[in-house]
Amino acid sequence: MNPRPWWVKLGHRSLAALAAAYCLFPIYFMLVQSLKTPREDVFGNPFIVVSPTLENFEELFEREGEVRGFVGSALRRSYPFADWLVNTLIVFTGSILATLVTSVAAAYALGRLRPPGFRWWRRGIFAVYVIPQTLLFIPLYQVVHTLGLDDNLVVLLLIYPTMALPFCVWMLSAYFQLLPREIEEAALIEGANRATAFFRIILPMSRPVLVAAGIFTLGIVASDFMIVSVFLLTPTNQTITAGLGTFDVSLEELGAVAGVNLLAIPVVTISALFARSYVRGLTAAMIEGA
Amino acid sequence: MTRAGSAGDIRLAYLLLSPALLLLTVVIAYPVGWEVWTSMTDLSALKTGPVEFVGLANYAQLAADPVYWRAALGTVAYAAVTSAAKLALGLGFALLLARPFRGRTLVFLAIFLPGAYPAGVSVMGWFWMLNPPTTTAYAPFLGQLKHVVDSALGGGAWAFGSVILFNIWRGSSFIAVLLLAGINAIPPELFECALLESNSPWRRFRLVTVPLLKPFLALAVFLSLTSAFADLANVWMLTAGRIVFPVIGTHAYWLVVQAGQYGAGSALALTVVPLFLVVLLVLFRLLDPPERRAA
Repeated sequence: MNPRPWWVKLGHRSLAALAAAYCLFPIYFMLVQSLKTPREDVFGNPFIVVSPTLENFEELFEREGEVRGFVGSALRRSYPFADWLVNTLIVFTGSILATLVTSVAAAYALGRLRPPGFRWWRRGIFAVYVIPQTLLFIPLYQVVHTLGLDDNLVVLLLIYPTMALPFCVWMLSAYFQLLPREIEEAALIEGANRATAFFRIILPMSRPVLVAAGIFTLGIVASDFMIVSVFLLTPTNQTITAGLGTFDVSLEELGAVAGVNLLAIPVVTISALFARSYVRGLTAAMIEGA
Repeated sequence: MTRAGSAGDIRLAYLLLSPALLLLTVVIAYPVGWEVWTSMTDLSALKTGPVEFVGLANYAQLAADPVYWRAALGTVAYAAVTSAAKLALGLGFALLLARPFRGRTLVFLAIFLPGAYPAGVSVMGWFWMLNPPTTTAYAPFLGQLKHVVDSALGGGAWAFGSVILFNIWRGSSFIAVLLLAGINAIPPELFECALLESNSPWRRFRLVTVPLLKPFLALAVFLSLTSAFADLANVWMLTAGRIVFPVIGTHAYWLVVQAGQYGAGSALALTVVPLFLVVLLVLFRLLDPPERRAA
């Protein structure tokens, strides 16, 4: 690389700093609010927290009858927050696993076995994204009702993977297609069968793309608000997202913000840990294209 | 050369495809079929008696309805503004990160996070941030700001603006990561060649970077457009259910859920599909490698 003048460097650095600040500010701001005492919320500086407290987080887990604080038990509902947490965990891990299994199977079929017209299969599946999801929940409700899955977490394990599938199949099959045939053929000649060759060779080689697919799915699952609110009605069956949706934000202000953070922080941490793999996986898939 | 698989391979392929196809049929194909059929009937919660097939009457009614055109315009404006901003910011972020510098990992993580932040709840956070409870320290300031914006641009402008800001904040992060992956997929020799050919960064950007990134830009635009049109929940949440500037998503939701007009609402929601299909075909054309690489 040719040396750059100092002002180009400085400009680049300050733009990078600006971009980082822009991206992080809302996250920081929400975190700060959730750590405030009611006193500081009213009188303090909005941008910083002087005496951080976990009181708002604790309040979420309080059961009925042990309510404290000046709002008083008359105004406060108690929330089955522990249930929400468990449900959220089930839905998130379950959806990611279901998505990975179904999309790896489909992608292997399209990228390695290549049935006639496999490119059109892939495009057809990707084309699902042209359908606006706004109203799909009405006919979906009929399906769910027929299957007897009303108010059941399993519904989400069917719907979320379907929403994440098209992108994951597209990405994974593009990647599988790129792996040279010889890798697998060598194993087959050695006497391994297709399944062994797949689990011992192809799958380990695809780790970054699998991570990318998982993180993409996590994004889909974590960003849904509509479906989860429509299909899960009983408070103890809800996830954090659906449950927080029933909060009255203006009354239960800091608790709601604490709830937001309680879900966001683990999701963000997991995504951040895999961020590099995510980009690498996307890159690997993009080299092949469609 | 694409070697045709044996008959056994092909059977296995269909077997492996079947779980995905089953899910797509149950969760997408059937509901869409229902929606298309319903859009051609007069199904409504307000009407008793058998459902009648009315052909394209619902669509004809929409075409004649000024409220529809207002919603369509709102949707197009929303999608255009957010997509343009997301693309510009995302491309900017991706280019910032394209070459190594000290602290690059940290800046990358910062840019990555808004996209990873769970939107189902960050939308609540944003609502709270921009419409704080009246007791909060900065509420008077934001209240003033909201008042100024609303009186200058009409009631609801603040809410609509906050939806746009939220969508851009989140979307630009996703697009930046996508484009960064795209830049990494381009052989670096091509950029080095460009560096020798021309001294002007702007020319290099216009003549080399953009054409090479075209398929990824197209993918980003497609995903951004479809998500903007489908972006109902965010509008609903950030405006606290008060729809002042209707977009097609919220208008359809309102028609069906609040007014019980399933037929008309379905027709409304489906009117965006042809537009998306055109964009998708353009995308496939761009993603298609000009010469099929040997497998």
